[in-house]
Amino acid sequence: MRSKKSVFYLLDSAPYGCEKAYGILNAAAVCIKMDVTVGLYADGVYLALAGQDSRPLAVPSLSDLIYAYPEVRILAHEPSLAERSLMSRALIEWVELADDTDFMTQIRAADCMIAL
Amino acid sequence: MKTITIILTDGPYISEYGEIGCKIASQALRMSHVNIFLYLDAVHMAHRGHKPSLFAEVGRLLSDLAERGAEVRACARCSAARGYLAGEDGICPDFYQGIKITSLYDLAGMIEESDRVIALSG
Repeated sequence: MRSKKSVFYLLDSAPYGCEKAYGILNAAAVCIKMDVTVGLYADGVYLALAGQDSRPLAVPSLSDLIYAYPEVRILAHEPSLAERSLMSRALIEWVELADDTDFMTQIRAADCMIAL
Repeated sequence: MKTITIILTDGPYISEYGEIGCKIASQALRMSHVNIFLYLDAVHMAHRGHKPSLFAEVGRLLSDLAERGAEVRACARCSAARGYLAGEDGICPDFYQGIKITSLYDLAGMIEESDRVIALSG
């Protein structure tokens, strides 16, 4: 039997002020029959922060979207978090951290990588 | 026959990705089944009536590809958010012929059935 296809979505832009993060999470949510991972890199790692309150922006909270789809694996690039002084901040519980090597290994292991 | 899916996300004139995607699709159609999914601002590419003077009219290119057998689909949520509404048949009167508005679940299906997925995004 053929194993499930794996999809790696790469997000490198901040979660609010642009539709990309919302777009990636929605695209990942419809792929949950496959092995789907959202990789957060560069400014994309802000999406990993716990306690996001987007009400002042009048847009949906993207952390709520992450909580709604636990099937979507969220992988944050640890050096990107460190570069932004975010290592001491609380992250969404099931966000996994990956160093450079691990992050690239995950991308290479996926059947397809989609950067939006 | 192999299947290739091309995902576009940029608006029609912020980059040349639309035109590049159409060129890739045109070549790929000779030997593959081709899906093109318009996501986020790329749904504007399907809008009829643009008369660009310096850029390719990507909507017309997409329509030509659809006529040659490519499946060209636009995300329903992204389209509705930008004022493009379709009937039950997915046809939007604002769009070029052959480009249908569809559920995002169709993107998942395209990815699942594809041998190659190419995302062109700025």
